[in-house]
This record gives sequence, structure tokens and C-alpha cells, in this order.
Amino acid sequence: MKNVILFAGLATLIFWYLTFSASRLDRLHHRVETSWATLDSLLQRRAAIALEVARSSITDPATSLLLTASAYQARGADIEDRSSAESVLSGALGMMLAERESIVAKSDQALLHELDQLTDKIKVAISIHVESVTRTQLIRNKLVFRLFRLAGTAPLPVTYEFEADAI
Amino acid sequence: MINRKLRIGLVCPYSWDVPGGVQNHIRDLAEFLINNGHHVEVLAPATESEDLPDYVVSAGRAVSIPYNGAVARVLFGVGANSRVRSWINDGDFDLLHLHEPAIPSLSLLACWAGEGAMVGTFHAAAKYQKAIFAIGPILEPVIEKLSARIAVSESARLTLTAHLETDAIVIPNGIYAENYRDGSSRTEWQGNTIGFLGRFEEDRKGLPVLLDALPIISRFIPDIRVLIAGPGDSEEVLAKVDPQLRNRVEFLGKISEEDKADFLASVSLYIAPNTGGESFGIILAEAMAGGAAVVASDIPAFADVLGNGQYGALFESENSENLAKVIIDLLRDDTKRRELAKAGAVHAQRFDWGQVGEEIFEVYELAMVSGQKVSLTSENRSWTRLLGRD
Repeated sequence: MKNVILFAGLATLIFWYLTFSASRLDRLHHRVETSWATLDSLLQRRAAIALEVARSSITDPATSLLLTASAYQARGADIEDRSSAESVLSGALGMMLAERESIVAKSDQALLHELDQLTDKIKVAISIHVESVTRTQLIRNKLVFRLFRLAGTAPLPVTYEFEADAI
Repeated sequence: MINRKLRIGLVCPYSWDVPGGVQNHIRDLAEFLINNGHHVEVLAPATESEDLPDYVVSAGRAVSIPYNGAVARVLFGVGANSRVRSWINDGDFDLLHLHEPAIPSLSLLACWAGEGAMVGTFHAAAKYQKAIFAIGPILEPVIEKLSARIAVSESARLTLTAHLETDAIVIPNGIYAENYRDGSSRTEWQGNTIGFLGRFEEDRKGLPVLLDALPIISRFIPDIRVLIAGPGDSEEVLAKVDPQLRNRVEFLGKISEEDKADFLASVSLYIAPNTGGESFGIILAEAMAGGAAVVASDIPAFADVLGNGQYGALFESENSENLAKVIIDLLRDDTKRRELAKAGAVHAQRFDWGQVGEEIFEVYELAMVSGQKVSLTSENRSWTRLLGRD
């Protein structure tokens, strides 16, 4: 009798731990999805602004071409290639901003101001996203989670490589 | 950009009744958010009294526990837990902002109980502790629930990475820079004066380090005067000073905020010789905003605020001789001192609430994308229902 109670207690404890762990992981996946959605929408907006800059009087034809090409590439890239495509766009925008002093028109200034604000937000969004991805990967690598397949069919989150200070 | 009025819940871990850096930060943040038109509630341990601001909700009286080598006045336990839960349940919040959620406190309870948009701010900077191996498995699942993490300084961020393997965005504590900008210089505090502000009886504030440096300084600068502002018993401190130098030390007692601005504008140097235990150097930011040239010990929190010596001079912590040398150098070189003060005054704008509040709100926006209100966690709900405690 004693053994039965002990066994039942142990089984309940294990059951509780597994459900607890599963919901913990589920929440982490959810966090990755929302942080990615945020980052994605901000990056899309950045690509849109880059295109607008390319069409404006700010840039010379060569820079326009570079901006347009990299913005389209960044928009079209799938999730694995996304960070490298965005890095290229960051580079192109950086070249454009290097000649910032020569930009004087009011409307252009407003556009660049919007870009600055967006960049600040993207930096924060990247660090939030990177954190949630690493956390999830770390947890999924633990033995209990692999042994009981607690992740189910959820795909392993993709590491977003480019660091916040790269933009 | 979110323009609608938000309902924001802030959780303060430490007793509202005693003054402290974290409490001040939460008070200023709450007022900043209210001025921007949001509905804010602060849940804090506090004794029920009439002079509690109307945005503060008391969760009961705090108890003193030893934690991390200091005494923390915090609140937790079964009663506090149910108060936290009903506060979250009734509050209908868009977002919870938990301060210092990694210590046993209301913030930890709220993080455990809540689900949805939650932001955590980590204030403490501590040395790496082995005990974390034991408490890590308990804390990690809780801290994971935060949608975004903020650290108040680079050293607080490093503490967090070392202890909980998680990263954070650095946003410093804020000051109202304009309160200090217009201090007028008073003649009685001018000359070769060095200023000290704070509860000078506490050894970790470092007044003994400064007083030990005094004999050396007075040899090179005979008309040096040390002005000490803050509450405490001056007799006891004076007794330890060489009798011939006692007339070089003046006690001003506790001074008002207005006097503080004048004080900072008047003194030649502002000295912060603290020996440790600071999570942030808010007083340094205020001193810089007030136009004082700052000399501070090189503890991590201070080195952060002063940009590793760019915006104020650093000396080796607890080394009086080094402090004396730095003070003498600066008092003899007017141009260098003025330049330091000027660089500091510009840098202080970085800590203004206009800027800091904006950055915090940006993190709020990113944490709230899912658009759901904060609720009690579902897993907790089913278990409590099973136990019949809902």
C-alpha cells in the first residue's frame, strides 16, 4: 500500500513537471513568434523607407541603384537568408548616411529623421528577438525536453545573426 | 506609435516608506507616464497612510531580510501572493513593468502570476555568486516570461548575463535635468571647495576616504574647504579629523532640492567616494546636470555613468592618496576642471526623463505587440482551481 501511494505521488510529480515544462516551452515559442513578428514588420518598414530614399532627390543614381536592389533583396529573402540580406541593406544605408551633411531639403530631413527613429526601434527589437531565440534553443537542447519531445512539431527558431550594433 | 491611453502596472520590490534609488526611479517613471496621459498603478509594500501618492497601491507592510550582504525591506508570502494576484486580475492592465524581479519580492510574485506583456528592469550589480546554481532553476522559468528586459547600467547587464544567461537592453535611470540646470552660484560656497552629498555616517558612502585624503590636500591647497550636506551626526565624524583641520570641514545639514542645485553650481569639485553597493550613480548624473566637475571612485556603476572618466574624473576606490592626487590636479588646473564640468553637463542630458522615459516607452510598445491584456497565467489558474483556491 505504502509503495502504491509513493508511486502515485511520484507519478503526479513527474506529470506536473512535464506539463509545467511543456507550457514553459510553449510560452517561449510564443515569445519568439511575437518578437519575430515585431522585428519583421520594423524591417519591412525600413526597406520601404530605403526605397523612398532611393526615389528621392537625396541620393545619386549609383546609390539609388544599390539601395533599391538591397531593399528588394531584403524584402524577398526567406528567414534563413534574412539577416545577411538585411546586413547588406544596413551597409547601403550606412553609405548613404555617411554623406548626411550634404542633405539639406526639409522633406529629405524628415525622411532621414524617420529612418533614425526606426533604427533605434530595430536595435531594441533585435536584442529582444535574439534573446528569446537563444533562450528557446537553450531550453530545447535540455535532455528532458528532447527525451519527451516537449517541443512537439514546432520548428527550431532560426538564429538572427546580425547584432543590434551592426546597424 | 501607440497613442491611446494605456493601463500600466508598476511593481516596486522595496518598501515605499524608506527612500532609495529604485523607489525614486519608480516614482519618477510613474509620474512621467501619468503626465503622458496613461493610467498608472504602483504596487508596493507600504504602510497605509494618507500621504501615499494616489497611484500607489499598498500590498502590506514590508519585512526586513538580509539579502546580498545588505538588508532589504521587501514583502512576500501567501498573503502578499493573493494580493498580487487580485491586483493583476482586477487591474485590467495592458502591461506590467516589474522592477528587480530576480529577488524574493512582490515583483517575483507578479512575474510568476502574470501572463502577457511584461517588462522587467534589473537594477542590481553584484559580483558573481555560487548560490545561483541553486536558485537558477527556480528563477529561470519565471524570468523567461518577461517579454523584454532592461538593465539600468552596463554592470547590471553583465550581472544578469552571468547569473541568468539572459541579455538585456541598457536604459539608465532618469533625472529631471532642468531642476539642476539653473542653480545659482553662492559666494559662501565658492573658492577651493569640494562638496559631498548624502548620508555621511554610512561608511559605504565613503566620507572616511575623503577625510583621510584631507591632510595631503591641505598641504598643497591650504584654503581647501570640505562642504558636507546630508543628514547625520557631525560631532562623531569631526572627532576623527585632525584637530588642526577641523575648521576646513563644514556641515550644512540636510538641504532642500533648490539648495542642492545651488550647491552643485557653487562647489569647485563634487566628490563621490562611495566604496560599493551602488546599483547606479544617479547622484553623479544630478551633479553633472548641476554643472559641477565630478570626482568619483572607480566602482563599476560610477565608471559607467561617467563614461570611464570622459565626463568626470575617477580615482581608485578606497585609495585616499589617489583621491588626493586627483583633487589637487583638478583644483590647480582651472581649464581642465571647467572642461570636465562642461562635458559632464552635456552628457547629463542623456539621463533626462524626456530621453529615458521615451526609451522605456519604446520597449513597452515592442512588448505589447500581441495586443492582449495582462492576465493570470493559465497553468496557475487550473492548478489553483484544482486546489479550490480560485
